[in-house]
Amino acid sequence: MSDILQNHAKRKKRNQLLSAYALVLPAFIVVLLIVAYPIVNSVIRSFTVRGQEGFTLANYVYFFTEPRELANILYTLFVVVVTSVLSTVFAYALALYLRFVKSRVSLLIGRLYLIPRFIPGMVAIYAVIVTIRDTGVISRLALLLFGVEFQPALMFNTAGLLTMNLWFNIPFSAMLISAALAGIPDSMIESARDVGAGRLCVFRTMIVPMSIKDVMVAATFVFMGNVGGFTTPYLIMGSVQPKMLGISLFDQFAKYADMERAAAVSVIMFLICSVSAVVYIYSNLKERAWEKQ
Amino acid sequence: MKKTISFLVVLMLMLGTLSGCGGGGNDDAGSAGNKKLNVWVAGSDNMRILYEKWVEDFNSNTEYNPDGYQAVLQFLPAGAGGQLVEDKLIAAWKAGQKETDFDLVEMGDDQISRVMGEVGPDLLVPYDPAKIPNLANVSVRPPIGADYFMPYRGTTVVMAYNSEKVPNPPKTVEELTAWIKENPGRFAYNTPGTGGAGDSFARTSVYNLMPEEALMSDDAKWKDQWDAGFKYLAEIHPYLYQSGGRVVYPNKNQGSLDLLANGQIDMCPIWADMAISQIQQGTLPATTKIYQIEPSLTGAVNTLAIPSIGKNPEGAHAFMNYVLSPEAQLLQLKEIAAIPLIKVDDSSAALVTGLDVTKFRTQSIGELYVEFNKRWDEEIATLS
Repeated sequence: MSDILQNHAKRKKRNQLLSAYALVLPAFIVVLLIVAYPIVNSVIRSFTVRGQEGFTLANYVYFFTEPRELANILYTLFVVVVTSVLSTVFAYALALYLRFVKSRVSLLIGRLYLIPRFIPGMVAIYAVIVTIRDTGVISRLALLLFGVEFQPALMFNTAGLLTMNLWFNIPFSAMLISAALAGIPDSMIESARDVGAGRLCVFRTMIVPMSIKDVMVAATFVFMGNVGGFTTPYLIMGSVQPKMLGISLFDQFAKYADMERAAAVSVIMFLICSVSAVVYIYSNLKERAWEKQ
Repeated sequence: MKKTISFLVVLMLMLGTLSGCGGGGNDDAGSAGNKKLNVWVAGSDNMRILYEKWVEDFNSNTEYNPDGYQAVLQFLPAGAGGQLVEDKLIAAWKAGQKETDFDLVEMGDDQISRVMGEVGPDLLVPYDPAKIPNLANVSVRPPIGADYFMPYRGTTVVMAYNSEKVPNPPKTVEELTAWIKENPGRFAYNTPGTGGAGDSFARTSVYNLMPEEALMSDDAKWKDQWDAGFKYLAEIHPYLYQSGGRVVYPNKNQGSLDLLANGQIDMCPIWADMAISQIQQGTLPATTKIYQIEPSLTGAVNTLAIPSIGKNPEGAHAFMNYVLSPEAQLLQLKEIAAIPLIKVDDSSAALVTGLDVTKFRTQSIGELYVEFNKRWDEEIATLS
């Protein structure tokens, strides 16, 4: 009798397992086909040179020794790090404001800052270009209101690129960080205040530790999202050197038709992203000190 | 997953059957006096609109279509990743198909060199000028396959300028060079490799200093003669459009056109049809004018050709004659700002006067363009 019951339970368990696999399988196959396969393909390709047999490091040697290409890699790192740091700082400040200041203005900002998420990227870029170019809205307003000839000189300039990146990424990071801050109960903060903790003390010892993980997550997302940036630098930077790796990749495949070098650029971008992926996974796995007990 | 796959397979089979039925219907129409004429065109949406109007007008036109051929547009949108006309045509030929629906095909210079290079003239029948009376008014011919590809429209890169700021634009390249130097920051061309206008300006600047035949050759030997031209491009570099204190090149044709529209520059090379349509739409100021410089920037003619595996050469000739009629030429000027190959009496023709298609300078440097763009990126874009 107990045998039958056991068998029944086993069968039930196996069936559950099978149906679980069946549910995961479609997504798994799609990932395999459209993510894993192209990555493997690119990696293999990046170690070849057209018209030559066998394995070679020539493409990587080219990108890491040719001064122009090396400058592109360093420039990309610079832009991405500055974008991540600035957007995280601004977004953290914004999220704190929205969480702890309750006023009409903060309520309004709390609604407005979501709008950029709903504007298509291309439209946003052109809108910002119309505003910041040397004959744009800023320049015209300066002339109209103050009679000053003012040229922002943001177009074809890293400052303009960073401005655009911040436009996209501050609202995005603020959204992630806001969610974390919303999870901090008012009662905790109030009780800390009741026993005499100052604002700064509450911020330093309670709010920061409880939200830092999500801040790191937001920063890594911004980092990864911007390594492959193409449309923004393409439209704002023109031919200016050094270039973002996204543009360098475009040059290799579209302008020079060199698929092997293009594959190598992709792998380099992938490696840069994986550094931040490690940070992301690490900060997700790490137990918070106060959670340990 | 399995279900999805089998569903997709069934769906594809159904679609296949349906299109098969469609094909069957075509054959029926074909046997009934062969009045049906399939016109194959690939391109952007403005081409579809133009050809739809042409087909509709042709089908009811008693002057150019007295035999009552019924043209049907087979349009393939470009840039959607699918096969284009030349791919399908070459594939049909290589598969040994005869009596196909490819009655008439539209081709630009890239397609012409591809078809002639991959298959050769056997794929086409020479058109009969006697059956295309309107062709008598057209003197321009494509540089390759002139007996097979009948030109019907021109496109060329021109100079666009702000006529308020530049009442007398420079006529020759020497005058242009002097003008650029006298007016620093008022000229721009887009990064080569990001748009045909910048390509044409950079290439002609280099090839103007080389033997005439070089521009029609993909022989690698010409690379050695690029030095003088690149020196010229470097020479004008400091006088081009600046932003934030350094010379920059916008990306894409539209990039330099935007600078012109906003008064940040006074002159730039651009495709004639882009400039004309944007002047008409008002996105470029009405003071914008275009003209051709001497020696000219490059252009090309688009053509129609009759595949040898088609079924209706008579109808094809009637349609070819129709598109060279004054009505059809005016329509394409209005619809896509194409440069007419015959004289068109209309106010909109004023925009293209002075653009003589017979003087279009054609170019075909083949794979050398890769080396060319690379060298530009390395030598010119890096100048401070």
